Amino acid sequence: MGCGSSFPDRDSGQLGRPNSENGGGQDAKNLRVKLVLLGDSGVGKSCIVLRFVRGQFDPTSKVTVGASFLSQTIALQDSTTVKFEIWDTAGQERYAALAPLYYRGAAVAVIVYDITSPESFSKAQYWVKELQKHGSPDIVMALVGNKADLHEKREVAVQDGMDYSEKNGMFFIETSAKTADNINELFEDMVNYATSRLPYDVLAV
Amino acid sequence: MASSQSEDREIDITTSIEPGSDITWVRTGSEQELDLPSSPSSSGYAGEGGGSTSATTGSLIEIEHEEEIEQEQMRIQNQIDEISISDSNSSWIPGKRHQDEDDGSISWRKRKKHFFILSNSGKPIYSRYGDEHKLAGFSATLQAIVSFVENGGDSVKLVRAGKHQVVFLVKGPIYLVCISSTEEPYESLRGQLELIYGQMLVILTKSINKCFERNSKFDMTPLLGGTDTVFSSLIHSFSWNPATFLHAYTCLPLSYATRQAAGAVLQDTADSGVLFATLMCRHKVISLVGAQKASLHPDDMLLLANFVMSSESFRTSESFSPVCLPRYNPSAFLYAYIHYFDDDTYLMLLTTNSDAFYHLKDCRLRIEMVLLKSNVLSEVQRSLLDGGMHVEDLPPIPQSGTSHLGQHTLPSDSPERFKEVNHVIGGPAGLWHFIYRSIYLDQYVSSEFSSSISTRQQQKRLCRAYQKLFTSMHDKGIGPHKTQFRRDENYVLLCWVTQDFELYAAFDPLADKALAIKTCNRVCQWIKDVENEIFLLGASPFSW
Ligand SMILES: Nc1nc2c(ncn2[C@@H]2O[C@H](COP(=O)(O)OP(=O)(O)OP(=O)(O)O)[C@@H](O)[C@H]2O)c(=O)[nH]1
Ligand SMILES: [Mg+2]
Repeated sequence: MGCGSSFPDRDSGQLGRPNSENGGGQDAKNLRVKLVLLGDSGVGKSCIVLRFVRGQFDPTSKVTVGASFLSQTIALQDSTTVKFEIWDTAGQERYAALAPLYYRGAAVAVIVYDITSPESFSKAQYWVKELQKHGSPDIVMALVGNKADLHEKREVAVQDGMDYSEKNGMFFIETSAKTADNINELFEDMVNYATSRLPYDVLAV
Repeated sequence: MASSQSEDREIDITTSIEPGSDITWVRTGSEQELDLPSSPSSSGYAGEGGGSTSATTGSLIEIEHEEEIEQEQMRIQNQIDEISISDSNSSWIPGKRHQDEDDGSISWRKRKKHFFILSNSGKPIYSRYGDEHKLAGFSATLQAIVSFVENGGDSVKLVRAGKHQVVFLVKGPIYLVCISSTEEPYESLRGQLELIYGQMLVILTKSINKCFERNSKFDMTPLLGGTDTVFSSLIHSFSWNPATFLHAYTCLPLSYATRQAAGAVLQDTADSGVLFATLMCRHKVISLVGAQKASLHPDDMLLLANFVMSSESFRTSESFSPVCLPRYNPSAFLYAYIHYFDDDTYLMLLTTNSDAFYHLKDCRLRIEMVLLKSNVLSEVQRSLLDGGMHVEDLPPIPQSGTSHLGQHTLPSDSPERFKEVNHVIGGPAGLWHFIYRSIYLDQYVSSEFSSSISTRQQQKRLCRAYQKLFTSMHDKGIGPHKTQFRRDENYVLLCWVTQDFELYAAFDPLADKALAIKTCNRVCQWIKDVENEIFLLGASPFSW
């Protein structure tokens, strides 16, 4: 399976989740991460979130309307708990103008494309530019190539994703919501990546 | 007390009912005036309707001059209507079917009812059957018809071709067309096109018109991406949901206290800056409140509920989505917070503030706590199981307003119940079904379908028959009727319209007319007795 990540997995062990929020006391070990997913309709944003939050994959397509809000708390290896508050936005064209509503307050933006669809890769680049122009200057961005299980239909090379994300200072990973490949890694690594780039107190509860 | 809908109404009958006195029927549509004595048996309660703003009972006894239309025409309709039985009895699944068809396919041509949306430059926007893009040529033809007539300074509304009716509705740059061989009245089909247009506005608002001003060849289909199920489920509801032609909404039956508890906590929310707060169970209202003078039109409710229920993603998690309420303001989006408490029950909080999500989320948590504490959600589930009004439970001769829904502990030796049951199925006097619409409340209640109308096909046919009846009762040209009695081989249909309510009832085709009329009185009394449970009274934002 050709799921590459430009941010190599460190020895991330098993995660106990979901976890209660106040397990770690007041020692700034509790983080809250507001995260928004953007990308063309059908690339698998909702599937990624539902795989992460509920451990499920439902192949029947349920096109998102407006945006869905979900949250999930995980514990990292060093016993830091992280509460993700996730905006899963609708990729349908008519909602594009509303995106600022959802990415405005976000610390992390995850921009998703489908590795079998070059159009969705172009759309991802559109979102990167949009965020560079109108998003918060502090926002941490990730580029995600989803549906990595469909490698025989791949039309966007891993290298293309990697190159584009490097050029734009983004985290990069390929995932499969269907097989769960790299889904938890995406969210865990995002935290590490974000904490390494942001002052810690921005994310602390 | 003026209802938000009053300007749409075409009823101008005046009926005065004084306790124990004669009933005067004034027919303003014609010169006739009938003075009818009220039956002694009605005098006990006939006057109660006078000042009431809710369910009102009058008397329909001994009216001898109502029109009896033994409609040959209707029989023919019922024979040819719906030969295609593809969906009979199977549970209906939303979504576009027959995507592979186009106007060249025989199967496509044979469909009984087509709906199209197209732009005034002839570009397809939506088609019920087949792929819009393959129907470009066909759309261009429809566009040519409209513009040919419009160039002559007229507008085209209806074209008849054999057993087909082609109904047009022009909304600025958007044309809506229905091609139907179902023999539904023109007014019904036009009303359905209005709703389809309204549904489009719910998703996009009227601001789409600007896209056509900028570019007349604008392709709108991408803007409606993923909304097929919204339209198909609306079109499906034309054949089962009376709200689509009654322009009224219906409530889930609940005890008064339960509905009050829900209403009270919604009211707190409305006071905190929410425009409308509605708690729904499927397409039925549990409770709803509006801020200050804001009023929600029943058609908007219908379209909003259809939008929410047909969009599966709302069921997966709480959501925040722009929506437009066409009757409230067709040009602007509101923002809807939507949350499902269980498979059937959902909350919709509407606001003008696009930043209100976290506030609305807090509101929901508070609402949820109260609903759980006061057992509203479990009562809702129980009501779903029990169903609404069953014609079999119609109480005997009116008593003193003590009956409750589904709790008719008739004495086992009650002769009343059995004497009149001269038909094995249904209620007394062969009553199969009824719909009661309260004018002031903008609400209706529909009985459960009895076993004689159990298949989807039978229910659809009855719905269409009611729709036809509704249209003829509201026909401006003929003048308003007060009562109508029709008999064909499917049923006896009885309709009774007063200032306060409209009653539509279906009986066994062999039912006795006098008995049927008597039974309608009993239905009205029954509704009055249980109005606390079947209607949302008082706090209704419709009756400001
Ligand atoms: N093979 C495969 N299919 C996937 C994967 N993720 C999603 N899908 C499929 O892609 C379709 C669309 O997925 P969604 O998650 O609904 O797409 P979305 O990005 O949320 O789309 P919008 O809500 O319209 O913006 C679904 O039918 C899934 O079955 C994946 O990792 N592998
Ligand atoms: Mg989605």
